[in-house]
Amino acid sequence: MMSLIWRDTKKNIELISENLPCSYAVEYMPVTSIDIGYISTDKQNIDYEVKISEVSKYEPADDIIQKRKTGLKAILKIESIRKIDRTPISEFKMEKGFKELTSFALGEKFHVEYREKEEFKMSDDALSVMEDAESRGYSIPVSLAYKLVKYKKSLPSDKYEKLLKRVDLELKKREIDPFEAVGIIAAQSIGEPGTQMTMRTFHFAGVVEMNVTLGLPRLIEIVDARRIPSTPSMTIYLTERYKNNEEKVKELIKSLENTTIIDVADIITDVGEMSLTIKLDKNKSRDRLVSMGDLLSALEKKKGIIYNQVDDESIAIKLQQESFKVLYQKQEELKTTPIKGVSKISRAIGRVDPKEGAWVIYTQGSNLREVLNIEGVDATRTTTNDIIEIENVFGIEAARNAIYREAENTLSEQGLNVDKRHLMLVADMMTFSGAVRAVGRQGISGRKSSVLARAAFEITSKHLLKAGLLGEVDPLAGVAENIIVGQPITLGTGAIDLVYKGNKK
Amino acid sequence: MSKFNVLEHEIVPEHHLVPVEEEESVLSRLNVTKDDLPKIGINDPTIKALEEIHGKLDPGRIIKIIRKSPTAGYYEYYRVIVKSVI
Repeated sequence: MMSLIWRDTKKNIELISENLPCSYAVEYMPVTSIDIGYISTDKQNIDYEVKISEVSKYEPADDIIQKRKTGLKAILKIESIRKIDRTPISEFKMEKGFKELTSFALGEKFHVEYREKEEFKMSDDALSVMEDAESRGYSIPVSLAYKLVKYKKSLPSDKYEKLLKRVDLELKKREIDPFEAVGIIAAQSIGEPGTQMTMRTFHFAGVVEMNVTLGLPRLIEIVDARRIPSTPSMTIYLTERYKNNEEKVKELIKSLENTTIIDVADIITDVGEMSLTIKLDKNKSRDRLVSMGDLLSALEKKKGIIYNQVDDESIAIKLQQESFKVLYQKQEELKTTPIKGVSKISRAIGRVDPKEGAWVIYTQGSNLREVLNIEGVDATRTTTNDIIEIENVFGIEAARNAIYREAENTLSEQGLNVDKRHLMLVADMMTFSGAVRAVGRQGISGRKSSVLARAAFEITSKHLLKAGLLGEVDPLAGVAENIIVGQPITLGTGAIDLVYKGNKK
Repeated sequence: MSKFNVLEHEIVPEHHLVPVEEEESVLSRLNVTKDDLPKIGINDPTIKALEEIHGKLDPGRIIKIIRKSPTAGYYEYYRVIVKSVI
């Protein structure tokens, strides 16, 4: 169902809402089968929804509210208007794909069916093992319950009881003691193998080479929670229909790669004539599947130029306003004018992944939000190595999983074996506050509640001065602050306090 | 909010809204107060998706997350919705 989206002033909207139902004259002629319209007061967001009952040709009359004074073309009969929650324009599927609303557009609101994932339920066997163990006073994790299922069936009950007891004992042995400094252990466990990592970044194995940061630089990038990683890259999985069809995959790859004019053509500047000539490079354009038509339609959106196709290889461009400054500006502007593709994705290659047994696309550059909406892309599996992007698109829990996955992959690629629990702890700490925070002065360490601990870490005077000005209180609950004042630290046996509960009589 | 259901993505664990009546028992089982729980922003894409199912969610509601763990199989994690995150 198409609907009309247009931009309007607050004053006009007020006028409409005061005179409902009303006739509203606009300066364009939409197709007639429209009953819902959306109004935006700025260019990016939509604030109002209107019901339109009729669209007719403009004829002057008294009771018409005019959007503007001249050039009116159509009358919309507006039944009702309602303020809606601010929705960005990107939520609408536009007839012509663009990101900013100029005057009006026809678009369709995306309809997504939301449902929760079905809650995880253990199998009946495993659940009975779990309940049985709990009733005997042992607590076991889910993964163990699954493993114990077959023993519960095959072993006689006294032996099974013995097994459970043993399992519980082993679990308890491996448990971390209360007030153990897990953070320090994790830091050392990741840090020591980290010293053995090579600083070298090596190449992507495959047909076409592609650089991906690996090793120590990548690990630092992850824990620093960089806004943009040095080599953003996506792994795009494809839907059933696409993944074994080489032709379609190739087509998809070409439509992903962001192609600008300079990629397929030369721009020649003639200073004497004050003109520009775009010369299409046959080889490059065939490579990128760009035709003259694509080039012309890309130029159509440009303002301030008059273009003219000379022959099938070149386009002559004249300026509306002739000056050297404008000439230079336009030349630079044309270079980076996108013809097709997804912005930020500079390169895409397809490979048949042996594990997957189907085509998978790898890209240089990452733009998750847009790629997920492309047809043929499996939106439930496609991912990127940009953690912040994952946080913005999928939320904090996904970011936590991404941190863990990326760190684990980086370490195991170098043949280092760090216990998963350390990495999980880092990932959990980084996402505790609901946003991804770096490990370091900007993030976790810089936001500790204790003044002395912060001062001991970095920029001592700043923290002490600020604490003095604001009158902060330090309850001496952590480790660093207790070392500073010379008390036993709150770890291990030092964490135990004596509590006396007096007789209540 | 995205144009597809983020809850269906592989990397997003299960998110479930804890009913108000059950909040008390969850907190007492964990022996914490609401402030001690990990946070999740009200503008988080998953919360926006849950809002499509349950209607508007206020800060202070608890979300149960069932995480897949490489060591323990599955386990529950809780986050409390907050107005803004840093």
